[in-house]
Amino acid sequence: MPESLLKVEHLTVDYAVGAGTFRALNDVSLELAPGRVVGVVGETGCGKSTLGHSIPRLLPEPPAKVKTGKIIFQGTDLMRLPKWRMPGVRGTGIGMIFQEPINSLNPAYRVGDQIAESVRIRKLREHGLTPRVKPDVKGFDYSKRELPKAADVVTGPFIPPNVSQTLKTRSPPMTKEIHAEVLDFLRLVRINDPERITNLFPHELSGGMRQRIMIAMALSGKPALLIADEPTSALDVTIQAQVLTLMKELMEEVRTSILFISHDLGVIAEMADDVGVMYAGHMVEFGPVAEIFESPRHPYTKALLRSIPNKYKDEGVLPSLSGSVPNLSKLPDGCTFNPRCPLARDVCRKKPEPPLATLPPGPLGQVHKSACFFPEEVPTMP
Amino acid sequence: MATATVPATKVPAAPGSAVPARRRGRVGANVLLVLRILAANPLTLAGFIVVVIVSVAALLIAIVPAVSLLILGHSVSVLPYPALDAGAFLPGQAPSAAHLFGTDASGADVFSNVATALPTDLGIGFSVAGISLIIGTLLGLVAGFWDAPGSLSGLASTSIMRITDIFLSFPTLVLALAITAAWGRGEIQSELAVIVTWWPFYVRLTRGEVLSIKVQPYVIAARAAGVSESRILFRHVVRNLLEPLAVYFSLDVGTVIVTYSTISYVGVGVPPSIPEWGNLMYSYQDSLLTQPWTVLSVTAAIFITVLGFSLLGDGLRDILDPRSRRILASTAVAGTGGERP
Amino acid sequence: MGRSRSDLVVFIAKRLVQLVPVLLGVIVITFFFTHIAVSNPCAIWSGPKASPSTIAACVRNNHFNDSLPVQFYYYLLGLLSGNWGTDPLFHTPVLPYLLTTFPETLELVLTATAMMIFVGIPLGVVAAASNGRIADHLVRIFYLSGWATPTYIAGVVLAIGLGPLLGVSGGDFSTATPPVPQITHMSVIDSIIALNGAATVDAIVHLILPAVALAFINMGIATRMTRTSMLEVLPLEFVKTARMKGLGEFWVLYKHALRNALITTTTVLGVTVGTMVSGTVVIESVFNWPGLGKYAYDAITGYDFAGTIGVVIFFAIVVVVANLISDILYGILDPRVEWR
Repeated sequence: MPESLLKVEHLTVDYAVGAGTFRALNDVSLELAPGRVVGVVGETGCGKSTLGHSIPRLLPEPPAKVKTGKIIFQGTDLMRLPKWRMPGVRGTGIGMIFQEPINSLNPAYRVGDQIAESVRIRKLREHGLTPRVKPDVKGFDYSKRELPKAADVVTGPFIPPNVSQTLKTRSPPMTKEIHAEVLDFLRLVRINDPERITNLFPHELSGGMRQRIMIAMALSGKPALLIADEPTSALDVTIQAQVLTLMKELMEEVRTSILFISHDLGVIAEMADDVGVMYAGHMVEFGPVAEIFESPRHPYTKALLRSIPNKYKDEGVLPSLSGSVPNLSKLPDGCTFNPRCPLARDVCRKKPEPPLATLPPGPLGQVHKSACFFPEEVPTMP
Repeated sequence: MATATVPATKVPAAPGSAVPARRRGRVGANVLLVLRILAANPLTLAGFIVVVIVSVAALLIAIVPAVSLLILGHSVSVLPYPALDAGAFLPGQAPSAAHLFGTDASGADVFSNVATALPTDLGIGFSVAGISLIIGTLLGLVAGFWDAPGSLSGLASTSIMRITDIFLSFPTLVLALAITAAWGRGEIQSELAVIVTWWPFYVRLTRGEVLSIKVQPYVIAARAAGVSESRILFRHVVRNLLEPLAVYFSLDVGTVIVTYSTISYVGVGVPPSIPEWGNLMYSYQDSLLTQPWTVLSVTAAIFITVLGFSLLGDGLRDILDPRSRRILASTAVAGTGGERP
Repeated sequence: MGRSRSDLVVFIAKRLVQLVPVLLGVIVITFFFTHIAVSNPCAIWSGPKASPSTIAACVRNNHFNDSLPVQFYYYLLGLLSGNWGTDPLFHTPVLPYLLTTFPETLELVLTATAMMIFVGIPLGVVAAASNGRIADHLVRIFYLSGWATPTYIAGVVLAIGLGPLLGVSGGDFSTATPPVPQITHMSVIDSIIALNGAATVDAIVHLILPAVALAFINMGIATRMTRTSMLEVLPLEFVKTARMKGLGEFWVLYKHALRNALITTTTVLGVTVGTMVSGTVVIESVFNWPGLGKYAYDAITGYDFAGTIGVVIFFAIVVVVANLISDILYGILDPRVEWR
């Protein structure tokens, strides 16, 4: 296995709300190899978004507080990096696509300018013109595919980056190379008339278009890792399919590493190589998508898979998971899932769940991990 | 493509988060919320304490002499000396145990002067803001709720707003000055003058709120369900007006006190024979360099009182203003996993 | 309706037309207030020693024997023909005097506005960025202090306490005998036009304290509004997007968040100018600044009806134009707004 690009180790995050605190992430670990797509799935409130936000350190602190854990990205522990150096990691190291395209673009600036800003930041870093914010990470190696054809040279004398950022923001004097790249990236996300789109404001675009712009913007930093936090959840079903198809095609073309967060198992099955299943702040199962879908080894994963409707079979009432996600401030004793678990017995109610443990190879011959006391009983679960 | 969604489950309730609290029943929840935020934010708590102390002190200073006159037959004051008692003491004494804030150039006790003015100024603050609130809210309700164009009520609504616009384009102080100059110097005249310039703000505020409440889904739903207009007006519109009005009012009492004392300072407010902070400031200003405690005492009195109301109102706004509450609520929900509803 | 330049022109034209009824209302109200309250001020104007014939002439010249509507008709007629009446003591015409004092006030108000923008708004950003922490509390105390300090107290303390330190004694902050020709009637600009360095410094020294006193109370409004709208904007997704581009915190706050927060901040600009104009009445009297505010005070307390109405008209125009400017700024800042 190649060296991992991202390694999250024992990440524990608390939130302080009012007088109390609750644990949004509890000892979560994750590994992502270059070029792979890892999915994270779970119900609303399970901590998957907190996980996505904590990697580029976007969590608002307070109320969030990272108690323990390492986030090792390209060999650097981001948790030990001073806050002011984080911008050097973002954009060119880690890019992110957010859930709601309505809010994720700045309403006050033209779309073209917003993408240009991102391109400019990368170009300045490529040419070492960012004295204060040292790029701490390498971007993605695009050598296999000539993505932006535009010349990679910023001409003209050295301009301090911050000054240049403001000077060049207005739309007409966008420098030629940057403008050409903006158009390239817009074409990359299958926008046919990029020239016209660059001059529009976000409110003049549809939700699907905005999400395409968002994807183009994230890619234009050429990040080594792309975090997609529920990128299609807020879209209409038809648009959702379009955007997913686009992302799938882009994954073939760009082959960047992706952390794909979704509450939708079907989407994860389409997109991801590996999947992590989260429940109430815990990572309960982790492994290759095919293996986990074929033979889940945690009762929660199994219950989730059962609730997917199958259009070929009329199964009567769709089985649904009884109970609801527990209140994170009042977690049950023992294993967090025990009140809803059909396999629960005394040990589950007394001892907290075991850490993720590697299981023997499953039916597809691949290895995966589960955090259940009795993983071997899951296949026979009622 | 097989897409399936995890069965929808409830968002777990964060402890004490604003969202579930609101579902529990608005009034009780709001009181709880207010108390919690008061305790959580030291500045708001400080404002609250100042407002309570100042109000109680004002009541004592105003009521004790009258009540004692009624019961004991002679007036008892909670203050050490009578106010504006020129020549009672050696003029220009620095603060001491006998004269907490010293004595002024006329030989009166500064503390007694400043304290006697407290009920006057506070009373003016409450009455001017209160009367403006009533007038402005009623007009604003009418202008906001019945604004259908083309109808008679729509015409009334438009004319209310035009008149409001006219009064809003008067600078407050100039109009108040003109009115008091014309009507003569006196407490009632000057209070009326401030009210004349004050109510339009409440019309604007109320109308804006009513217009936004009117298009809320719950009002549309109520109307679709056949709820009567008057019930919608009182159950939904008026109920939702109370919070922004409460916030604005608490800030406003302070602003009125500042404005009114300015009117007195420039010489058209209460007559000089009545102790009032603006009056006192006017008579003390020349001794700023020789007897700084005089100016300092008046300044401190105005400053602390108004700051108390401002801190309280500013803090209340963070809690009660629907927009800021949305922020509070969203951080609470984000706390359960980062998603926003 | 759209966002093209011609739409903007139509928008401004419409708003200027709407100014007419507002001004008429202001004139009517001020006229009747003053004339009903004091129906015949000739005795006050002419002084105790005036002969009956002088008073009679005064009454005749000012039409005080006619009914109020007729008096109003005469006044309006004069107003439209550029004769805004004369001051009762010196019989100088009101309009030219207003036109020369107005720039003095404008200079003060613009300086205070600049302070508000360049100090008040960044303070709001700082407070919002450190929401709930010590810097936020300090900024809140600062802006609420401005609010809780009546303009006259700030004025008196600065004029008498700090004035002598700047070499301005006696609380007289007017540049008494300006050594430069009065072109714009704004002392700083006039001395810059005359290329007179010493006079410029002197003019700035005289301007600074009144402007600070005027700005202090209004600073709170700008800071508070910026803080509130920044608190609304900061949790929005696009701020995260900006961070995820790799932008430093400064650019995230000022280029992305503040740009959107300013949209709401501009709406209070009109209100602020209103309180500022009120503030000039006090500030100019305290600092002896020869502007519109001091003129307003003198006119009102001296029963100078023509001057009072004239100054009120000027103030009303200032407030309405300030509101118009804030609406235009709002539209320029928010690309979603259409001119209508």
